[in-house]
Amino acid sequence: MIRCGKTVRRLVLLGLALTMTLVSCGEKKPAAAAKDAAGEVSGKLVIYTSMYEDIIEKMTQTLNTRFPKAEIKFFYGGTGTLQAKIAAEMNAGKLGCDMMMLAEPSYSLELKEAGILHKYVSPARDRLAFEYDSEGYWYPVRVLNMVLAYNPDKYSLGDIPHTMQGFAHDPRLKGFISMPNPLTAGSALAAISALRDKYGYEYYTALGNQKVMVESGSVALTKLETGECKVIMILEESVLKKREEEKSKLTVIYPDDGSVLIPSTIMTVKGEKSANNNTRAAEIVTDWFLSEEGQAAIVGGWMHSVLKNYDKLPYDAIPTAKILAASMPVNWEKTFRQREEMRKKFEDNVTIKKAK
Amino acid sequence: MQTRAAPPEKRFYFDIKWLVIGAIILFLTVFQVFPFLYLLLRSVFSEGRFSLDAFKRVYTYPLNWQALVNTVVTSFFSMVFGILIAFPLAWLVGRTNLIGKKFFRSLFVMTYMVPPYVGAMAWLRLLNPRVGNLNLLLQHLFRLDRMPFNIYSVGGLIWVLTTFYYPYAFITISRAMEKMDPSLEEASRISGAAPLKTLATITLPMMAPSIVAAALLVFVSAASAYGIPSIIGAPGQIHTVATRIIDFVYIGSQEGLTDATTLAVFLMVIANVVLYVSTFVVGRKQYITVSGKSTRPNIVDLGRWRVPVSAVVLIFALVIVIIPLVSVALTSITINLGNPLSPGNITFKYWERIFTRKPIIFSARNSLVSAGVAATAGMLISLVMAYVLMRTTVKGRRIPDFLITVGSGTPSIVIALALIMTMSGRFGINIYNTLTIMIIAYMIKYQLMGMRTVVSAMSQIHPSLEEASQISGARWVRVFRDVTIPLILPSVVAGWFLIFMPSFYELAMSTLLYSTDTKTLGYELFTYQTYHSQQTASALATAILLLVILVNWLLNRLTDGEFSI
Repeated sequence: MIRCGKTVRRLVLLGLALTMTLVSCGEKKPAAAAKDAAGEVSGKLVIYTSMYEDIIEKMTQTLNTRFPKAEIKFFYGGTGTLQAKIAAEMNAGKLGCDMMMLAEPSYSLELKEAGILHKYVSPARDRLAFEYDSEGYWYPVRVLNMVLAYNPDKYSLGDIPHTMQGFAHDPRLKGFISMPNPLTAGSALAAISALRDKYGYEYYTALGNQKVMVESGSVALTKLETGECKVIMILEESVLKKREEEKSKLTVIYPDDGSVLIPSTIMTVKGEKSANNNTRAAEIVTDWFLSEEGQAAIVGGWMHSVLKNYDKLPYDAIPTAKILAASMPVNWEKTFRQREEMRKKFEDNVTIKKAK
Repeated sequence: MQTRAAPPEKRFYFDIKWLVIGAIILFLTVFQVFPFLYLLLRSVFSEGRFSLDAFKRVYTYPLNWQALVNTVVTSFFSMVFGILIAFPLAWLVGRTNLIGKKFFRSLFVMTYMVPPYVGAMAWLRLLNPRVGNLNLLLQHLFRLDRMPFNIYSVGGLIWVLTTFYYPYAFITISRAMEKMDPSLEEASRISGAAPLKTLATITLPMMAPSIVAAALLVFVSAASAYGIPSIIGAPGQIHTVATRIIDFVYIGSQEGLTDATTLAVFLMVIANVVLYVSTFVVGRKQYITVSGKSTRPNIVDLGRWRVPVSAVVLIFALVIVIIPLVSVALTSITINLGNPLSPGNITFKYWERIFTRKPIIFSARNSLVSAGVAATAGMLISLVMAYVLMRTTVKGRRIPDFLITVGSGTPSIVIALALIMTMSGRFGINIYNTLTIMIIAYMIKYQLMGMRTVVSAMSQIHPSLEEASQISGARWVRVFRDVTIPLILPSVVAGWFLIFMPSFYELAMSTLLYSTDTKTLGYELFTYQTYHSQQTASALATAILLLVILVNWLLNRLTDGEFSI
């Protein structure tokens, strides 16, 4: 009995020690929101976003320095995951966020129609190089670019097509390509929408015959690195990030028939439906993101700026204007209205295994 | 089966045990029975009236059919192979003089402590049909003209599912073997039967109920796995019901949710059929294998087979456990996964990242809390249930036992969906977006592993000590606290970890239940794995594994080998 008692005590101590270690690894809780001073941002703001965690971390630091009195928190999720979450929250009548920086204009159109967005006419709108909502419900804030990429360590550029068309048709690539999932990634949905407009639904059939693997960015990049894939369709930022941070050799191919530019949007949730009812702060943060300083943070995160005549470029990228001139147009209204149809066609042709 | 403590009282009196059982039944009714029934109802009443439209829509779509077939096929074979692996291993490790059996035991249990989706990633790199390392090695060794294996196939999926879910069977069967009365085997040996014949004619039939229980566990775990099929299956266009359900939920519309529910009903039905068969058809053939006194099973001498058999087990361990785990650990320090590991290609920044990045630390804390609470509350219930089952004849004591078995037999995704739909305020309880809903989900899913451990430990303890305490005037609670618990403490610790570990890195349920403030480690790991950085995910997984090894070692040291996971 005595031995057991001692054992119990030892176990409890061990448990306590472990818990303490793990808990003390955590950060200190930020101080409660400061009182609102005129024109200054204070209080809490939660932003749902599909930007990568690495970028979020950098951006949070910038925002904390810029708005020291506010407690701005990003919540990451893939577009699909967040859309599911938002749909559930809309059902419940209240969202868990105050702002969103995710998906693409077609989703903004849907949210606007659902009546959950806050209207704000930003003075920054005249400098925008991309389409925005004329009533002020959403603005583009960062430009994603769907491109192709390859690994010069494993394959030579001569063995690889330089077009989106070739990606889906070149027999040398059969079984060696990968792309993101239009069901879970907004940018992938935009891409298959633009590609359909340009090449018709035949493009999906071709992708299916090409045995494209549908998977997310990190998995695809690793497959490119190991040589399991010859070419992947991926967002430019993922490749640039790897090039800068890891001195990776992976290289972007800007397709001759155009890459797909996706001006991802920033939106504010209507006060009464938002998590913290802090719309004034959200407006100021919107203006900041659309300012040169805010855009510098975006470009630092390997995405392109939405501003006209803006010089800064993501690491190793070619000029935005040049990409824009050659890009494949996306019809956002159609992408919104025909989303289910496209997803279904994509599933039928690509996702379902066909009998031999 | 057991010597019971006291004969039931004839006259009516209030028994505190009823209160305890009642509370457990109430808990299970509110958080399990009601949500499950609601889910069933909703699939046929989706538009406010009775309709089978959703069923028609979902089950006539070819992709879903493929998913159903894939799920049944992969889970079935994982179950068969899992048992074929687990039974001999459990016997060799538990009942023979295999070399290094203690080490092997810890090693096989270790796989239970690793998140399956991380293992999937390792296998993907080892056996992919283009540049898989193991594939290349085998091709080179045997001068083949093509890669021997393709992980993106139904076979590949079965392989990975088997390697990660057989530990469930191994743990279950080992436990039963340890408590088995060896006198029958001894009798067989004395009568001249060879060890293998004894194994086939005595051990195997006696173990049948545990083998069936273990098979069920593997089947259901494989059928509801999300991580492995989404990583291994999807690139080869092999979908399962679990991946389809998550896809439907991610569509984000009400129709998507209805379709997910309808598909979930399939998983629920099939799991319950298997459960029914195993409990009421096979399970009825209970052998009296446990005697009142504590016994130590005899050890079979492998004789001249000892070295070769040990070598085979070692090779098995190398392939199934060590190679994938080492591959995960190496990934965590590799910069460019396309190049060999050389001094210039090594970095520890991913390790630094997991200890400094706030969302990871925050999620780790959430998981620690929710898994810790789930395991502790689960063990409390298990202890009470074990006592009530083994030491009393209270009416209705089988009801919670049955409900707990049904809960664990239900696929995780179904549990999560049912909880979301019923616990978001529509019926007066709103715990969606809180850690509470996670804790409840974990308890429903993993409670059984803990309970079985305690029940089996309790069955080995003779009630005489408890009776002595009772005669000396101690009340039920006191007897329980001062006599029973200290006696079975090693099993309580083991059971606690069996609930804690899978909850700690749980993925399928957390993916549906997480919110801004309740992200969990499993979800974080999976997003890093698939979206941000595989190296960071590998570092995180290796860290979890190292922590488990450390805790196991500490437990062993502090308790002189009495406690281990």
